[in-house]
Amino acid sequence: MKDSKKKTLLAIAAILFVFQGFFNVQIIHPQWTRDYSLGKQSLASGLGADQAFLELLGFREFLAGMLWVRGDTFFETGNYDAVLPIIRLVTILDPKNIDVYSTGMWHIGYNFTDEEQRSDRRYLPTALALGKEGCANNSETYELYYEEAWLWYHKIDDDYPQAVKWLSIANEHPDITPARKNLMRNALERDGKPEEALQLLYKLKDQAQQDYNQDKNYEARNDLETLINNIDTTVVRLVQRGNIAEKNGWYASGDYDTKNPFDVGFSAKVTVTEPKVIVVEGTWNVLPVGTRVRVILRDANLPHSVPGSMDWDAMATSVQLDPPKNETYMQDQLFVRNRRFNRRIDMSKDPTMYPFSGDKYLIEFYYNPRSAPPHIQDKFGWNGEGMTDSNFLRLDARPDNERVVYTTLEISRDQLLQQGAYAGKVTVLKTKNYHDTAIPTDSLDDVIMVPSLRNSGATSASTSSGAAPGGKAAANAVINSLGGGN
Amino acid sequence: MNAIWAIASSTVGEAIRRKVLLVILLIALLLLSIIPALGVLSARSEMSAMISTIFFVIRFTSALIAIILTIYMIPNEIERRTIYTILCKPVQRWQFLLGKYFGAVLALALMMGIMTALSLVMFWFLKHPDASKMAEVAKQPILYLVEMSLLAAIAIFFSTFVAPLVNFFISTGLWLVGTVLNPLYDSFATNPQTAPIMKTMAKLITSILPNFANYDVKNPILHPGVVIQNEASYYLKTVGYGFMYIAILLILGIVVFDRREV
Amino acid sequence: MAAAIETKKLTKTYRSRQLGKINVVNELDLHVEEGEIFGFLGPNGAGKTTTIKMLLGIIYPTHGEGYVLGREIGDMDVHRVISYLPERPYYYEHMTGFELLKFYDSLFGNHDPDKCQRLLERVNLAGDASKTINQYSKGMQQRVGLAQSLLNDPKLLFLDEPTGGLDPIAHREIRDLILSFRDEGRTVFISSHELSEVELICDRVAIIHKGEIARQGRLTELLKGGRIEITLQGIDEGLARKLATGGTLHNLSDGYMLDMPEEEDVNAVVDTVRSAKGSIVSMVPRKKRLEDLFVETVRAATPGAAPKLAAEGGV
Repeated sequence: MKDSKKKTLLAIAAILFVFQGFFNVQIIHPQWTRDYSLGKQSLASGLGADQAFLELLGFREFLAGMLWVRGDTFFETGNYDAVLPIIRLVTILDPKNIDVYSTGMWHIGYNFTDEEQRSDRRYLPTALALGKEGCANNSETYELYYEEAWLWYHKIDDDYPQAVKWLSIANEHPDITPARKNLMRNALERDGKPEEALQLLYKLKDQAQQDYNQDKNYEARNDLETLINNIDTTVVRLVQRGNIAEKNGWYASGDYDTKNPFDVGFSAKVTVTEPKVIVVEGTWNVLPVGTRVRVILRDANLPHSVPGSMDWDAMATSVQLDPPKNETYMQDQLFVRNRRFNRRIDMSKDPTMYPFSGDKYLIEFYYNPRSAPPHIQDKFGWNGEGMTDSNFLRLDARPDNERVVYTTLEISRDQLLQQGAYAGKVTVLKTKNYHDTAIPTDSLDDVIMVPSLRNSGATSASTSSGAAPGGKAAANAVINSLGGGN
Repeated sequence: MNAIWAIASSTVGEAIRRKVLLVILLIALLLLSIIPALGVLSARSEMSAMISTIFFVIRFTSALIAIILTIYMIPNEIERRTIYTILCKPVQRWQFLLGKYFGAVLALALMMGIMTALSLVMFWFLKHPDASKMAEVAKQPILYLVEMSLLAAIAIFFSTFVAPLVNFFISTGLWLVGTVLNPLYDSFATNPQTAPIMKTMAKLITSILPNFANYDVKNPILHPGVVIQNEASYYLKTVGYGFMYIAILLILGIVVFDRREV
Repeated sequence: MAAAIETKKLTKTYRSRQLGKINVVNELDLHVEEGEIFGFLGPNGAGKTTTIKMLLGIIYPTHGEGYVLGREIGDMDVHRVISYLPERPYYYEHMTGFELLKFYDSLFGNHDPDKCQRLLERVNLAGDASKTINQYSKGMQQRVGLAQSLLNDPKLLFLDEPTGGLDPIAHREIRDLILSFRDEGRTVFISSHELSEVELICDRVAIIHKGEIARQGRLTELLKGGRIEITLQGIDEGLARKLATGGTLHNLSDGYMLDMPEEEDVNAVVDTVRSAKGSIVSMVPRKKRLEDLFVETVRAATPGAAPKLAAEGGV
C-alpha cells in the first residue's frame, strides 16, 4: 500500500474516532440512560465477586431470581433479618421485580415484631422508601403505588393525605382492578372528605355500569352492586352525620347524630410494674367496642416526631437496612372494653427493639376519630365533630384543626428500668383527671347511644346531658343490637 | 470483491467446523433449552426472567465465540503458511483482512442465529406470546450481533500485532469494561460527590473505549410497560456507532497488517 | 533469453535483541532464465524462504532491488502470472480437493470448475476430488498444492521444498510433474536441500549460504571435475607409473588402481594397457555429485563450522 493512501486512511480513522466519541457521549448515551438503563442503582455494592460479574454481564434478573428463592427459605424459617439484605439486593439487581418490592415492603413494614407482636416501627421509613423507589422504577403499573398507599392507610393509619396521594396515582393507571379502586373511597373518608368519596363512588359506579353493560359477568355485577350499596351507605351517613346540613347551612337547626359533641372522658394511669414493663389503664366512656387508643412510648427528643406519630414521610428518604439502633419507639393500641382499658406492655424481652438508651421518655396517648370504625364515626362524625374531651381535646396536634385526643406523660429511664434512685420502686404516672374509680362502670348515663342505620335515623344520640330524645331504653336497645353492650 | 467474498466464505466454513466453537455453541444451546426450568426463580415475572436469561446466554456465548474465533484467525493462517498461498495470489492484504473479518462476522451471525432461533422456538412453545412480543424479543440479538461484530473487529485489530493469548485478555477486558461503561459513567455523573476531574476522566474514557453497553436494550423488552421514544432512531444510531468504530479498527488493522512481516 | 528473476544486492536485515543486526539475506544477486528449472539450494536457515517471500512481496527487502518477470517486486500484477507452493502448507482441511481448487481459483476472480477438474486429473487426484483435505496423504496434499499452483497457468512457479517429507514414490510423482512444467515452457524456481532431487531436474542452481550466494551456474558446468578409477592387472610397476602421470596410483594386492580426472585421455590409457597385454578389471567413473559441490561450497564459505553446517544441510 502506498504511503499516501495509508495517510488518507489514517486521517479518515482519526476523524471517525473523534466523531464516534462525540456521538457516543453526546447523542447515544443520554438516550440509553433515559430508556435502557436498568434502575437507578447502576453498580450494586455488597455483591460478591461472582455475583457482581454476573450482574455486569447483564444477568441481573437471573441473579435476582436466584437470590429471591433463597430469601424465600428464610421467610419459611422465620429468619427475617436475613431476608432484608436479600430484598435490598434483589431490588437493586432487578428493579423491575414488582413482587419483591411489594413483598419487601410488607415484610419490612409488618414482620419485624417484638415478643408480643408489636411491630418495630423504626423500619417503617425503610418500607416506605423501598416503596417509593419501587414506584419510581415501575411507574408503568399501579401496583406499587397501591402498596405504598396501603402502608399509609393501614399500617401507619394516620396522615391520610399520604394514602390519598399515592392512591390517586395508582388509580390513574389503566391496569388497576376495579375493586382496588374502591380503597380510595375509604382513604378519602378517613382524610375527612366524605363528599369527595361520594363523588368518586358515583364515578366508579358509572364506570362499573358501563362495564356491566358490556359484559354481564358475575364480577362486574358484584362490583356494580357493591358500589351502589356503598353509595347508599355514604349518602345515608352524610345525611345522618349532618354533613349535608352543614354544607347547606341548616346544621344548627336540625337534629343530627353528631350533635352535640360527646365527651369521651379520657384518663390514664401508667404503672411501671417491673423493669421495662408498664401497665396502662384508663377510661374512655364509650361503651360500644371498637375504640383503640394509640399509646406510644418513645425517646423524649426523637427527631421527626409529631404528636402521636412520626413524620414518616420526611424520614423515608432512603432504604436503610438497619434501623436507628439507639432509638426507642414502642407503639401499641389500648382496646376499650366496658369503658376502660388496661394493658400490660412488656418491653423487657426485646432489648434490640427497645434499647432505652436515652434518659427521658414520653408516653403519648392519641386518638384520632378519623381512624374510628363506622359505628363509632356515626356519633363522632368523619372529622370528630361529634367528639370532645374536656381535658385532652387538641386542635393543634394535626393540621386543619383536626379534632384529636392527645396527651403525654413523661417518664425517665431510671423510672422505667427501676434503677438508680428508682431501684425497686414502682413508678405510677397519671393524667391529672385520673381517679382509680373515675367513672362508675355501672352507670350508663354518660355513655353515647350509637345510632343505627337500620332505624333510618329514628334513633339519635344521647349525650352526656341525657337530654336526647329516645331515652335510655332506646339507647340500650341500640347498643344491644350492635352487640356492644354488656 | 470476489477475493474478499471467497476468503470470507472459506472462513465461515472453517469457523463452523472448529471444535472448540462448536462445543461452546452446544453448551449454549443446552443452557438455552433448560432455561424454562429456571422460570421458578421468579414467580410472577417468569417471562422476564426467561427472556433475560436467554439474552444473557446469547450475549455471553457470542462474546466468547467472537473472541476465540477471531484471535486465532490470522496467527493460525501465518503459522500454517496458508496465508502465503493466498497472498501470492492477486489478493491484497487489506482484502485478506477484510475477508477474514467478514467471515468471522458471518460465522457469528450464523451461530447467533441458531441460538436465537432455538430460543424463539422454545419461547413460542412454552409461552405462546403474541407475534409482537416475539418480534420484540428478536430485536435484542440483532443489536448483540452488532456488538459482537465490534468485538470481533477489536480482536482482529489486535491479532495483527499481538499473540493470541495476550489478545484474548485484551479483547475480553475491553469487552467487559465496555459493557459497564454506561452504568459507570452514569454513577459518576449522577453522584454529586464525584470530583470534577473524575467526571472528566469518566467522560474521556467513555468517549475513547468501545462502548458495548449501548447494545444492551433489553430493559423495555423485559418490561413492556416502559415506553421508549424514538426507538428506531436509537437502534440506527447505535448501529451507526458500531459501524464507525468497526471502520476505525479495520483501517488501523489494515495499516498495521500491511507492513507486518508474515 | 529474458530473465524470469533478477535481483541486485537484495538484502533482508532483522534485528534481534541477542544478536543485534542479522543479514538473513545479504546482497543477493540472482539470475534465473525463463523456461528453466532453477534450484535454489542452501542449508536450513540460509535465507531461501526469506528470499522467496521477498520475491513474492510477502515481506519487504531492507534494501536492494528485485525483479520478477520484469516487474519490480511488490507489484501485485505479477501475482497473476506466478504461483507459490510453500513448504508443507496446511490447506483448509474442511474443503474437498475440488473445493480447495475452486477457492483458490476464486482468488483470481475466476470461476472455472472444469479447469479445476482438469488440474485434479493432471495431478492424478480426480478420484479423490470429493475427499476432504484432512483425508489426503502428505503426497496427495502436495499434489493438490501443485494443482492449485497451476490454476492461473503461471509463467513462473516458486516451489519451496516440494518433496520434503514425502516417500520415494511421491517424490517421483512430484518430480515428473515439475519436469512437465518445464516442458510447458514455465520457469520453475525450486528451493530445496534435497540435492539428489535437484540434481535430477534442475538446469541451473544457486547455492546460498548465510544469506549470500556461494555458487551459481549451470549444473553441468558446476559438476565438471569428476574422476575415473581404473583397476589394472598384469602390468609392471614402471608402466603403471607412466600411466599415472595425469592422476594418482594406488597399489593393490593383485594390481594397481589408477585414479585420474575424467577429462584426461582415458582411451589412451586403455590402449596402452591392452597393448602391454595387461587387463582392465574395472573402470568406474566417479562423477562429481551436487552433494560434493554443496559440501565443498559450504566448507569453503565457513571453514571453521564446516562439518556442522554440512550436517545441517542434510547432505
